Amino acid sequence: MTGRFKYSEGREADSEAKVKALEDLLITKGVIGTTSVDQALSYFETEMGPFNGAKIVARAWVDPGFKQRLLSDTAAAIAELDFPPGMAGAEGEHLKIVENTPAVHNLIVCTLCSCYPWPTLGLPPYWYKDPTFRARAVREPRAVLAEFGVKLEESIEIRVWDSSAQIRWFVLPERPAGTEALSEVELAALVTPEAMMGVAQVSA
Amino acid sequence: MKLQHMLGGIENLGPVWLEPRPFVEQWETRIFGIHVAMMALSTHLSSALPGYDMASVPTTFKHEWTWGHLRTGAEAMNPFDYFKFRYYEKWLGGISSFFIEQGYITEAELTELTERYLKGSPPTRPQKDLPAVDAQIIKYLREGDSPARPAPQPPAFALGDRVVIKDVHPAAHTRLPGYLRGKQGVIDHVYDGSYAYFFSTGPDGIGAPMPVYVVKFTPEELWGSMSEPNNVIFADLFEAYLQPAEAAAESAARSAA
Repeated sequence: MTGRFKYSEGREADSEAKVKALEDLLITKGVIGTTSVDQALSYFETEMGPFNGAKIVARAWVDPGFKQRLLSDTAAAIAELDFPPGMAGAEGEHLKIVENTPAVHNLIVCTLCSCYPWPTLGLPPYWYKDPTFRARAVREPRAVLAEFGVKLEESIEIRVWDSSAQIRWFVLPERPAGTEALSEVELAALVTPEAMMGVAQVSA
Repeated sequence: MKLQHMLGGIENLGPVWLEPRPFVEQWETRIFGIHVAMMALSTHLSSALPGYDMASVPTTFKHEWTWGHLRTGAEAMNPFDYFKFRYYEKWLGGISSFFIEQGYITEAELTELTERYLKGSPPTRPQKDLPAVDAQIIKYLREGDSPARPAPQPPAFALGDRVVIKDVHPAAHTRLPGYLRGKQGVIDHVYDGSYAYFFSTGPDGIGAPMPVYVVKFTPEELWGSMSEPNNVIFADLFEAYLQPAEAAAESAARSAA
């Protein structure tokens, strides 16, 4: 049993060699091509990432009509914006956004795995995949948020969303005070993936 | 019964790992990319989406590979290992085993090549251009594989209905978070139409299209006196996991009698 709690000495080197060997073999056997993995990765670097979600949030902050449409039909509102094709693609087929207000704070979790809205947020950060976060977020969300540095008054209701079926949730954070003079692009630069999953607030 | 199905609510795990990066080692990106390729080449796409012809994609991959398949592997792990290993270490283990078990590669050749790399052999990436495979990967990422379907029957529950979450039999894979079993909630939203899950969970009950709901739970219902003040928990749940609160109460009364 003790070996179960130890890591092998070459933990990362072993995995690195193994994944390299696996990819080689899959190419040799005709499962994928030489550039297939690079192709998949570049999509997330250039087209689908948290930069998309940040643009959506910034637009909602400056355009109340858009914000209303975003809250009532997230996909249709996103389709109004000038994004590359694919905002309703893999892991974005059914998106829903929930709004933080002075009285309500939303937190997204996936206790069974790591469901995450790829087109708007890209790939999930490690904290989101952490079994400890997933275990605790549903029972003690306020304590978990405090660990992330978000200290909420008890009067603020916390709504926790467990993504256990086919909808991918994200959060419309509150616009920080004192940002009236900022442009939409400057506002988008303030928005983090953490803010869009509810473990951070946006600060100017 | 699997610990992985019961994560929500486990105590004494210590602080959350606050790491904001999606990948902490460069090698992790490669196994993620392999998984995306498998999703994009999965044979289920031919039936999941109209106008899809996977047979014409020039790959030797001839299996279904969906989230359900990947998750079933993670849920089949020793629960201590599940906590011990990082996310993509689990993926690397599960996906390698899948390719070995299904006969795409042998364990011996994977071990042999891995050891060669560990001994410092220069990379020997084979050159094989498969532009149609690469194009299919982008097509899958752009189009996705929506499980939404027209409703086969009207939803059994309506907004505001009180429901009790079923305690279905344990299975290899589930989308019912364990901490909700036997708990009472209220239907907060009824999604339009129905949703398939591209992996039958057998006795657990999902796979074929069925209505999906947002069910709202109070922390007092879930955690009693341990609950934190002023929060509410919402979960997306397939209809197979729900029963009317009245029926659950009657059945409890019958078994008590």
